[in-house]
Amino acid sequence: MKIIITVLSLFYLQAVLALEPLGENEMDQILGLGGVYLSGDLTINDVGGPLNESGAEPGDAWQQDCAASTNERCGARIAVRTNNTSGWIVLDNLRGRFSFEGLTLKTRLIDSGFDNDGASSSDGASFDRDVFEIGLPNTMNFSNVSYTLANSNKARPTEVGFKQTDIFNVKIDGNVSLSGNLLLFPTGNP
Amino acid sequence: MKNMKFKIPAFLILIAFSISNSCFALKALDDISLSAVQAQSGLTIDQSQLLNIGSLSYTDDGNDLTIEGLRFSSQDDINEVSQLTYTMDVSADGTLRVETDVKPTQMHIDGIRINNSMASFGDLTLNYEAVTNFNIKGMTGGGLEGSFTVGISNADLIWKTNGYAMSFDNIGYNASVDSLTLEYDAIDNTKGFTRTGLDIGMDNFDFSFSTGALSLEGVSLGELSGALALSATAQVFAGGRSSDQGLTLHYQATILSDPNNYVRFTDDGNSLFMGDFSGEINLTNLTLDVETDYLAIGFDQLEGSLNAGKILIDDGAGNSDSLKSIGSIELDFTLNDYIDADDSNDNRYNRFQLAPGITRPDFDAMPDQIKIYAENFYNYKSLLIPVGQSNSGQPNLAAEGLSLATQWNLANAELSYIDDTRRVVFSGIKSFGSANTTIDVRDEKLAIGISDLKGSYSIDGLRVGNENAPLQGGAELLLSIEVFQAMDFDIDGYTEITAGGASGGGIRIDGDYFFSDTTIGLSIDEHGEGIWATGVNYDIHLRDITFDVEGDGLKINRGEQWSTMDIANLRWGDKKTGTSLGRIKLERFEQNSLLAIYPGGAGQVCVGGSLNMDGDGCSGVGRFEDRGEQGITVSLRAAFADEGVTSDGTATARNRLTWENNRKESLVAGEYDNDSGTQIIFNNFSTNDGTGSSDSNVHGFQANLNIDVYETKVLKKTPNADGKFEELIYDTDARDTYKYVLSPNAAQKALRPLGFAVQGHITFKELIIDEVQLVHANARTTPQTVFYGVVMQNLDLTTNLTATPIQ
Repeated sequence: MKIIITVLSLFYLQAVLALEPLGENEMDQILGLGGVYLSGDLTINDVGGPLNESGAEPGDAWQQDCAASTNERCGARIAVRTNNTSGWIVLDNLRGRFSFEGLTLKTRLIDSGFDNDGASSSDGASFDRDVFEIGLPNTMNFSNVSYTLANSNKARPTEVGFKQTDIFNVKIDGNVSLSGNLLLFPTGNP
Repeated sequence: MKNMKFKIPAFLILIAFSISNSCFALKALDDISLSAVQAQSGLTIDQSQLLNIGSLSYTDDGNDLTIEGLRFSSQDDINEVSQLTYTMDVSADGTLRVETDVKPTQMHIDGIRINNSMASFGDLTLNYEAVTNFNIKGMTGGGLEGSFTVGISNADLIWKTNGYAMSFDNIGYNASVDSLTLEYDAIDNTKGFTRTGLDIGMDNFDFSFSTGALSLEGVSLGELSGALALSATAQVFAGGRSSDQGLTLHYQATILSDPNNYVRFTDDGNSLFMGDFSGEINLTNLTLDVETDYLAIGFDQLEGSLNAGKILIDDGAGNSDSLKSIGSIELDFTLNDYIDADDSNDNRYNRFQLAPGITRPDFDAMPDQIKIYAENFYNYKSLLIPVGQSNSGQPNLAAEGLSLATQWNLANAELSYIDDTRRVVFSGIKSFGSANTTIDVRDEKLAIGISDLKGSYSIDGLRVGNENAPLQGGAELLLSIEVFQAMDFDIDGYTEITAGGASGGGIRIDGDYFFSDTTIGLSIDEHGEGIWATGVNYDIHLRDITFDVEGDGLKINRGEQWSTMDIANLRWGDKKTGTSLGRIKLERFEQNSLLAIYPGGAGQVCVGGSLNMDGDGCSGVGRFEDRGEQGITVSLRAAFADEGVTSDGTATARNRLTWENNRKESLVAGEYDNDSGTQIIFNNFSTNDGTGSSDSNVHGFQANLNIDVYETKVLKKTPNADGKFEELIYDTDARDTYKYVLSPNAAQKALRPLGFAVQGHITFKELIIDEVQLVHANARTTPQTVFYGVVMQNLDLTTNLTATPIQ
């Protein structure tokens, strides 16, 4: 499960971590045995979520048949409040499938390479430290991925007086090219 | 005969031990055996016995192991005799045949002490009836040979400490040895001189056992049964480890490959079954010595293998509800002594010291987090001087129980898990350490206290496909079940086991545990480099945790659990000098969570798409995989509770994640003072059923994981000249060389790399975080709030991930 959570976290980490492509020469410099190769898919709310399951109270905002529905209450929902007295920013109706082959997780020591194929001094030698490397799959397929960004006056659609304003909807199908590696390593004062 | 006092020398104990098998047994004589019996009338002895022995001592180097109050009597009245009948005959070939019929008898021991210790191991009672058949004759050249059968029935074994009992009820035991030899010609040179001892051979030793219930104060923990066939030899010598008195044993056994070998634990009619055993054991220099205040047991080396070809959960009669199996396991292991030529402090041994009574740990030397729980554990009423006596309420030095000091050194182990013929080997498992343990029965509970459990373990890595495949990384995969790749630990833990699970029989556990200054390897290579959690203080409190075997699986209900894992440094690289990410502190509080383990994995799967109606392919896009019948399904429901006081009132608990860095460096180089830096806090996260923290929390956070070992499609990182990505395919089953193939055929697909295929299904109705805060070092009491609430709802996440170890 931690692996799954780790994979999920990648979607948030991409914006904050350094991305650098590795050539074959750099890959040859990988030391050690550690590592996991992941492939497969992640599907969010394909037929709705647990709040949509039958048995919900009549009139419940979540009571929906979601097998073939695009109703916004069939997706996952995240509401965040940034001010103690105001409303909520909402990522709503999150659904879709992500599939990929070749996401790698490993720790390795970088102490050579990164020298522009020998044309310059080795940045790897001066770096000389361990990193946790997330090797991105070359291609990630998005299938029926959708979400809505909205503002809401309540955290939950079941609350009395609930009102929500959708800002925009997004739907994604197709392949996204993700190459290179994410390298995680501590810097600064711990 | 009443209250006699015996003192017997060691050699008599040795002889008694060697012939003890003759004292029991029963099996019908077959025609061939009967035809060898001549017409002589033989001898029949009917004996009525009421035997009371005040004390019986075994003396080793001047130290006495004393059995007090040994009594053989009727079961109904301890002042009445029990009956037994010996029938003796001699056959034409000179074989002495002795058939013994023991009517219901009670053997009772008031206590066992060492050198008249104040405390004893407790009292023992064995109720039994038995029929034995023992054949013996002389061997050409000296020695004895023969065979025997034993049948023990309607037996109960009761162990009592301080007036409270644990019992094995309704024990049945049947055994037979086709060929037994006793010769005084074994030679031993392991102590630097030559000694001669007894050589015992047992060919085709079949036995089966069952116990109707293992009970605490009459409530059942569950039933245990099994059968095993083995051939064994043993050599017994006078002289132990510390002197020329005591006992030394070498033992070699082969578990015969027999599909009828099994062990079954049954709870409320449902069984956890392991069968189709095979393997072997080789034990060198097992020694037994009586020391001043303990019984010393140790061995130089124990090596062997144990294979269980079948593991499943069934209805208690061998019928599996689901016809699915967890798979099979194979274990090879070596425990041995290790002598470090340079530093004797690094010597490691396999030793056990059994002392009567309860040896209390040094509470003042304990960390504060566990001290109060340890004191409460050992200040239980049955371990204190009773009210009305002088110094009542003080520790009772005569309290009965068992104290055990243990040292171990697992030099290496290889554990294979085989799922539908696909093998993963957890390779290079090593461990050493020591611990002090106490065991006693109190009220309806079995109490186990472990103090100063100090040691280390590590796993080198994985081998996939076969035992000789190259060593690979990937032990990180065990993180998903909270098993770490390496750990240096110092643990104090106190457990009370009560009979009775969530339904009927079963096991219930309450416990408090603390890991001090522990180092945990999260993702490390063979050189010990990687990601380490260091300086970890981890306290765990479990309440009302129940284990039950149910019709479809093993269920662990976690009534209440709270813990704090405080990682001083999350280091990259070396575990001592690696760069730190800072401090991470995870507090958890769960009520009514559940963990269930079911046999069988994912079965048919469509990766990247949906299964068709028939379940034999994908409906549209995707890659179909049939992952077979075997495997494991883990079903987790974590009900994260809102902040509150724990049920025992000892703590206020919540779920909270804190990351701190930019701390002040402490006086110890490379270490940092906690709570001196900047923190980001995810405060009081919890689950509920959809309308907020005041709602019920039945659904919680659920994760169902179907785990199989299966072939994985592993693509080369870089495309070929045509811009296409080729697959890694091994050349042979040896899986030591490989090539890249663009479109593998069926045979090549079977040689894809193996890995753990996990089909996951994660759901929650609502997961909320009360607030996300930032705490600055200069304003610790006035944290700034980043988010005033996060509410996540209605998530249903399915995954099909295959995790393959890579080099």
